[in-house]
Amino acid sequence: MSRLQEISLDTVHVRKKKKNKDTWVIIGFIAPAFIIYGVYVIYSIFMTFYYSTFDWTGIDANMVFVGLDNYIQLFQDDVFWTSIQNNFLLVIASLLTQLPVGLIMALLLFSPIKGMRLFRSVYFMPFLMSTVAIGILFIFIYEGNYGLLNAILEGIGLESLQTAWIGKESTAIWAVIATVCWQFAPFYMILFRATMVGIPEELYEAADIDGASGWQRFKSITLPLLKPIIITSAILSVIGSLKYFDLIYVMTGGGPNNSTELMATYMYKQTFTNFNMGYGSSISFSMFIIAFIVTVFILLGDRSTRGNG
Amino acid sequence: MFNKKICWFMLILILLVVAGCGPSDSTNTEGTADDATGETDKENSSENAESDGDQTTLTLWHIETGPSKESIEEAVERFEKNNPNVSVDVSQQENDPYKSQLSVAMGGGNPPDVFHSWGGGWLKQFVDSDQVMNITDSVDESLYNEAALSVSTFDGKVYGAPVSMDVVPVFYNKDIFEEYGLEEPETYNDLLEIVETLTDNDITPFALANQTKWTGSFYLMYLAERIGGPELFNEAFERTGRNFDDTAYVEAGKKVQELVEMGAFPEGVNGMNYDTGQSRQMLYTESAAMMTMGGWLVNNVRDEMPEFEDKLGFFLFPSIEGGDGEKNHVVGGVSPVFSVAQQTEHSELAAELVNELASLETATDMSNNAGSISAVNGVEYEDPYIKEMSEVLESSQAMQTYYDQTLPPELAQVHLDTTQALFGLSMEPEQAMAEVEATAKEVLKE
Repeated sequence: MSRLQEISLDTVHVRKKKKNKDTWVIIGFIAPAFIIYGVYVIYSIFMTFYYSTFDWTGIDANMVFVGLDNYIQLFQDDVFWTSIQNNFLLVIASLLTQLPVGLIMALLLFSPIKGMRLFRSVYFMPFLMSTVAIGILFIFIYEGNYGLLNAILEGIGLESLQTAWIGKESTAIWAVIATVCWQFAPFYMILFRATMVGIPEELYEAADIDGASGWQRFKSITLPLLKPIIITSAILSVIGSLKYFDLIYVMTGGGPNNSTELMATYMYKQTFTNFNMGYGSSISFSMFIIAFIVTVFILLGDRSTRGNG
Repeated sequence: MFNKKICWFMLILILLVVAGCGPSDSTNTEGTADDATGETDKENSSENAESDGDQTTLTLWHIETGPSKESIEEAVERFEKNNPNVSVDVSQQENDPYKSQLSVAMGGGNPPDVFHSWGGGWLKQFVDSDQVMNITDSVDESLYNEAALSVSTFDGKVYGAPVSMDVVPVFYNKDIFEEYGLEEPETYNDLLEIVETLTDNDITPFALANQTKWTGSFYLMYLAERIGGPELFNEAFERTGRNFDDTAYVEAGKKVQELVEMGAFPEGVNGMNYDTGQSRQMLYTESAAMMTMGGWLVNNVRDEMPEFEDKLGFFLFPSIEGGDGEKNHVVGGVSPVFSVAQQTEHSELAAELVNELASLETATDMSNNAGSISAVNGVEYEDPYIKEMSEVLESSQAMQTYYDQTLPPELAQVHLDTTQALFGLSMEPEQAMAEVEATAKEVLKE
């Protein structure tokens, strides 16, 4: 064996050793998060599917294997379809209101208006309030007999529009969706604002020199640079809407006559009120599949537009 | 070496996480001595208590509010005095969420030692799952009102001890009745006339918050009983005659909708929540005149607006001409019933606590302060209201227990949902009753 070979073997050995050590460090850093993720997400998803193949009350030891019967029953369940429809209504409403409103509020915060600091806190307030408090507050606002909203409508001469907002099947879901949007718009405002702060001032200066108008500056500088955060927000908003639960539970409990049921509230009702753990699990698992498919589509769409750009 | 240190650090972190995630093990007597952070949760503190000598902790879940909550607390104090080594961790829960809270605790293997229920189908679900202890041997059955004890007795075994009972009358505002020259109705037609007079004067006849659903169910239960007689429900429930889609039920549904169309209930009843007090506010502000509600309304009034009590009168739901029911057949129920969880580690102490909670002393206390009828025999009523109520109960020839607590949960839910839909005028009575019957066929088959 020549000396040269010996040296190169040596370096390979050293490199290998170093690589080994790196792997361990990497594993060491990843493992804690991965274990938590594994137990609470991956394992839970598999267990949900496992439970969904049983007819089981959730409180006793008597589990009857029924295969995919729960899913067959689910697809024939009108309330489940109503809840999917409501979930998608919420998704669309969230995308169409929360993001634009968040963006407008974020832009307003940059405008040179006196007292903007105050408005920054005011705009952010809804997101800081506890959801249950918001729910109860809006129950009273929407109240049909002495509610604030009806009083305002009366005050501006629109008595004809007065109704019992969350007591009527036709208006209940919209009333709750409006509340959800009110609560979450400030969250996106903060995300957008944080990104806008990071946009270099030079770009705007250059635009000024070129004589760009305010709208042109927004269209050609702010918006393109906000695009990644808009996509992230859209994903957050869609996923959040698909698994939404809180305000529905507090404000309507899924009623009247199941008209505001979402997948999550229906799952809760089946699992914990009706003691159908198996059936509830099949709803949960369907929720997971739907959210998963939607996310994949968004990500694919994002990649293709990026590819084109 | 630096990297090695990091590895060790990570390893320790992982171990901590794993240890934290593991199931809580009450035989673990290592003594969590380094819990100096003050963040000891309930579980930890009870573990500590057990390992620190012979101190035992029992957990008790109840849903009482106001004066009856105090009665429970006093009972617990008496129990602790008699058992100096035992402390009771009392946890008050909110009415509606309580139901799911308990099933989660039961299913998760960490239930309270002693818990509240209403007896009936809901408690039976847990009994069938072998989650409730048979306390026949420790309970003195002769102490209790027979009808009250029956809601927690299954196959001759006692699974819970009752404290109070309630009947559901129609409460009304005496001042408003006087103002419009109205009198307590004898027949259903009288009631309809009252409704008409009140709506003509812009007063909502019945305050009702029906997002909670069981509140509206009272009207359906009464109307069905008044039309179909006291055996109607039992026949349908035991599958021995008429069913849930019987004409009497359909007729009752029609009468509910008739009332809704007359404007007998507030706008948007299905969006109003009893627990946040929306119906009671209407009563207190005198924008509504009547309310069909359990006797616990008196407890609510004393807690929320004591001066209103002077105006509060009650009558029994009137009979319907040509119907099989009678005015003195009441809808009622038993609450609270206290039971012991099968999984408890201190079964004897827990049973003793149940006996203290359902003692003559607690029942007397609760009757006189909170306005409920005692389920324990021999209580001397001081409160004129309760005296009157208990006389009503004693003179009644039949008692109908609440459907939603008597029926198995799944069927109860369908009953509640369809009744809510009836109030919302979004379902025909025939269809609503057919749905209940379809579920009944499925759930009640033996």
